[in-house]
Amino acid sequence: MPDLPRKKVGIVACSGEELAEGTVTRLAALKVLEQLRPGDTVTICLPLFLAGGEGDRAFAKFYPTIAVDGCELHCARRATEMYSSKPAASIMVREVIAENGIGQPANPRHLNTAGMQAVDAVANRVAETVDELLGTAWDRRTGSFVELETVSTAPSVEPETEKVATCSCGSGIPVQKVQINGREVTLIALPLIFQQLREDGKQPADVTGQELLDTVRIYNPVAAGEEDAYRAVLLQEYDAFCRKGKPA
Amino acid sequence: MDEQKTPKKVVVVPCSGIGKSYGAVSREAAYVITEDLRPEAAQLVALSMLVLGEESARRAVAGNPVITIDGCKLACASKMVKENGGKIVQEIDVLDVYRRHKEYKPQGIGQLNEGGLQLAKALAEEVTPTIDSCTSAGQGGSNA
Repeated sequence: MPDLPRKKVGIVACSGEELAEGTVTRLAALKVLEQLRPGDTVTICLPLFLAGGEGDRAFAKFYPTIAVDGCELHCARRATEMYSSKPAASIMVREVIAENGIGQPANPRHLNTAGMQAVDAVANRVAETVDELLGTAWDRRTGSFVELETVSTAPSVEPETEKVATCSCGSGIPVQKVQINGREVTLIALPLIFQQLREDGKQPADVTGQELLDTVRIYNPVAAGEEDAYRAVLLQEYDAFCRKGKPA
Repeated sequence: MDEQKTPKKVVVVPCSGIGKSYGAVSREAAYVITEDLRPEAAQLVALSMLVLGEESARRAVAGNPVITIDGCKLACASKMVKENGGKIVQEIDVLDVYRRHKEYKPQGIGQLNEGGLQLAKALAEEVTPTIDSCTSAGQGGSNA
């Protein structure tokens, strides 16, 4: 199984500029990304779901994602669900404020004391949710939780010690388009799978279509009855990938 | 009423990117414009609302001149405004402003350093002529 990115939790903040609560979402997300759970979290700018590529839109499917919203419009939660995948969790600043008896945040540019207290409370809530999500099994094919007995298909992970906010802006999840039975299919993580196989020293003749299909299936749905087409196309594509990487 | 003489506010839409300092500069610059330099003539519209196509945000960008401020080449703010039928009178990229003001190197995201704050101010000052031009044109001024 390829050593694909370890399981991390995605955080999507609304960052609303007009409301102090929008700034709270932004600063709370940054606090989790940079201080509270730096190795376990990754973020993406909300508009990239529309303005970015397919890799960006795969974000909430690949990572269990927490949407952090400032107000009842729930822009982060709704946009994530609409353009990427249903967030695994949703946190709303005003609800956290009410639960913690914090005052009203004011001044989105320079938060008042209540606003900074809200940042801490929301960041802690997000960090707790990160811990809960890391303890669950996530199916990257469907972008949803899975039953424990099927966890064996999840990629193995090694701990990281990264201590900077990880941003997915513009990078997203690597995807590749292939033609299956005459239609275009986007396969999540295929470039990473190929790269890992090549790094392991496996030539196209060393891998089987079934081996490729089994790995691709971890991250992508494969319709019943199309396995043969997938096997053939994946072998073809891996051969092309290896040829492309050879020095001229 | 003559529509030409109705003063319109210029809408400012920053990308507010969360992964890089340039995104934070875009956000700060928008505040400098709408709170410090031209509070009567410019208004902020949240990009997240445009992502959803929220009605009040759509109306604001469709009915007013718009300035977009982007922190990277993906130009999310510009793309979202266009997607929502907005008329952009100026697209400005933080990186371009930084190339003109290398002395202001931005660092930090949640808390911009002094260089970032100065860069935001420089950017804001670059767009005020556009705002003045739009608003004086709306009031029947001579810059139309």
